[in-house]
Amino acid sequence: MLTTIAAGRVFDYSHCIGMYSTSGIGFLVPMDFALGSNETLYVLNRGVDEITLRISKCTLKHEFIADIGRFGMGDGQFVWPMGIALDSDENIYVTDENTNKVTVMDKDGQFLAKWGDAGSAEGQMRGPSGIAVDGANDLYIVDSQNNRVQKFSKDGQRLATWGSEGSGPGQFNKPWGLCLDAEGNVYVADWKNDRVQKFSGDGHFLAEFGVTSDGVGGLSRPTDVAVDSDGDVYVADWGNHQVQIYEPDGKFIATLVGDAQTPSPWVQDYIDANPDVAKARRRTNMEVEWRFNRPIAVNLDADDRLYVAESVRHRIQVYSKERDYAEAAINL
Amino acid sequence: MPNQADIALMAHLMRRAGFGASRAELEERCARGYEATVEELLNPGADSGIDEDELYRYFPQFESSLAPVAAQTEWVYRMVNTRWPLKEKIALFWHQLFATGNSKVDNPPEMLAQVAMFRKEGLTNFPNLLVRLAQNPAMIYWLDNNGNHYGSINENWGRELLELFSMGVGHYSEDDIKEASRAFTGWTIGAKPPRQPVGRFYWSFEFRPEDHDYGEKEFLGNTGNFDGDDIIDIIVKQEDTARFLARHLYNFFVADEPQVPAWNITPPNDEAAIDLLVKAYMDSGADIKAILRALFNSDFFKEAQFQHVKSPAELVVSTARLAGNYYQPRTGFPLLAFECAWQGQELMNPPSVESWHTGSEWIDGGALVRRVNFAAKLLSDTLLPGVKAIVAGLKERGTLSPADFVRSCLELVGPVEVDDGTFQELLTQAQQDGDISWDSEESAAESEKRAGVMLAMIAATREFQFA
Repeated sequence: MLTTIAAGRVFDYSHCIGMYSTSGIGFLVPMDFALGSNETLYVLNRGVDEITLRISKCTLKHEFIADIGRFGMGDGQFVWPMGIALDSDENIYVTDENTNKVTVMDKDGQFLAKWGDAGSAEGQMRGPSGIAVDGANDLYIVDSQNNRVQKFSKDGQRLATWGSEGSGPGQFNKPWGLCLDAEGNVYVADWKNDRVQKFSGDGHFLAEFGVTSDGVGGLSRPTDVAVDSDGDVYVADWGNHQVQIYEPDGKFIATLVGDAQTPSPWVQDYIDANPDVAKARRRTNMEVEWRFNRPIAVNLDADDRLYVAESVRHRIQVYSKERDYAEAAINL
Repeated sequence: MPNQADIALMAHLMRRAGFGASRAELEERCARGYEATVEELLNPGADSGIDEDELYRYFPQFESSLAPVAAQTEWVYRMVNTRWPLKEKIALFWHQLFATGNSKVDNPPEMLAQVAMFRKEGLTNFPNLLVRLAQNPAMIYWLDNNGNHYGSINENWGRELLELFSMGVGHYSEDDIKEASRAFTGWTIGAKPPRQPVGRFYWSFEFRPEDHDYGEKEFLGNTGNFDGDDIIDIIVKQEDTARFLARHLYNFFVADEPQVPAWNITPPNDEAAIDLLVKAYMDSGADIKAILRALFNSDFFKEAQFQHVKSPAELVVSTARLAGNYYQPRTGFPLLAFECAWQGQELMNPPSVESWHTGSEWIDGGALVRRVNFAAKLLSDTLLPGVKAIVAGLKERGTLSPADFVRSCLELVGPVEVDDGTFQELLTQAQQDGDISWDSEESAAESEKRAGVMLAMIAATREFQFA
């Protein structure tokens, strides 16, 4: 369904951005993305076979701007990039789960710095993945293989560390993505524990939600989390190919399954240019294309529009949120 | 401590029923016993050794990739890291027998799905496997059964089913091919969204009754309103089928046979062995486990050590496992997949439906150089965990004369059996620097270095090319 109605809310499919491509317009195995100023979008692409890895810089209006970075161990290069975030100057921060580094570039992709030491001591990292920037331009990074979260200054000085391996409160099992809410609380997608954990900005455990399930409100290997201005929590339910939505206290609200019935303009151009593809699309049920396939990253813009990136479909689906929605006219 | 003959036999089993095993694993398996190991290989535990979620977390590009090498790499990753060695090996066997190529199918995820079917069903029974093969979308497209219609048959699938996949040339007629093809009309692929511009979609098997020929057919002396299942049912009851499959199993698991196209004019190297496998087939109702149990426990198998040239996949995967540096997610797995191709076996892309020629035909001048360079490079790197373990095994043996040093290296890397000429070559190298000792830090470092050189030389021997 293009419209998902839940308690006091409506989530409306709006459009999608992206297509499969090895360079230029389009994405290839997006892992994460960040929303910049002036409707700019930075999509972190893993690529295939150590080629086609790049950050695609484009706009929400489908204008391609630049490809940034490539595979490698050098400055401005990545091996297993996992997370991307922007500071208030729109400098780009990218975590690399293979090199255990954070790379910093300016918004045009010029290399600025690279920091991070491999290891398990405080301040060191093993498998950095999710990354978020707070209002003071400090960074929260999921230190995945060490099963913890670390807070750094933007030049890499460690400010705080919390978490350990396990399934209890404040413990993690290969966590992946994270986000901050308006109050500076930290939400972590605790990947192999199939849950989201909420912490204060200084790492005190506040809440957890989600259970291992492919049923209502359950989670399977959540990869990312986002919180809107009402406090509603959106979880990329990677293993179930869904997005689960929860109230601030963790009560389940609704599930999104993917609704990309209208192709992105890039996709439409491709279809229009390839009549055989257009014909092939007419002779089959296209529903499988609409649905999420590996939703891997979620973000919200200032208007609480939800953006969902799918690594297998090389695109981002966009949903708007309506509030105070009156009872639907079901007798039409 | 198991004796050397037991270790050698267990190593032989693990090379053939899997992709080799470390010395520690061989000793542990010897303690459990040979027949118990055969049973464990046939009926492995629940843990495949592959965490599917972690696989796709660290290699997200494997999922629904448009790139053939991504699919090849995923399979190589599974072969290296599996705890179900025979399941992975039987998948390779069926892939080589039911050769399907991405050059035409052009759908790497669908090729992976076919291999996954071989992994899952490959140890069940032959009729089940043939039905699943007939319904496998990659196979349907590969052999044009989507173009096999009521009143307008395409014989490609029907012909290869009989000629290459079950009975072999000379055991059926051209009319049998036509009648079999009629029975498989309507067995086709459902429409799916086209690839691009949002990635790949899977095909699905679809039976279209309106396109199926329900009429009477005569097939291998039987008459009836046969459909595809009936045809397979008749095929698998033929002793010729049992004999053809037995020879393929012998060629893959026991010892190299002549190339398949010569089979109708060249008798098997070991008729008695084929007879034993045929009996296991007929007695068990074509149960693959029963046939393999008979094979692995037979004297002819146990006596066939080093009588099979390693395929590129066997050489690459077994060497990577021995070196021990490809366990769990890391970069570099695509190079292993490429290496198979560079040595002459591009996985999921055989040269034709007749598959690769095997045995000594795996090796020509170019392939030999690649095989030696690949194995020597890995085994000479004494920093790699598997090589370190071999060096540690040498160290446990204390000071070694050059001859004992060579013998110990051959034992710990395989064991590998070499002839006198090869042994003398290795010995000549070892004698240049005298005894191996570990008395001081300096001598230990030197001995470790010499071990790396010796292992590289062993990797370059003729005997190392054999499993």
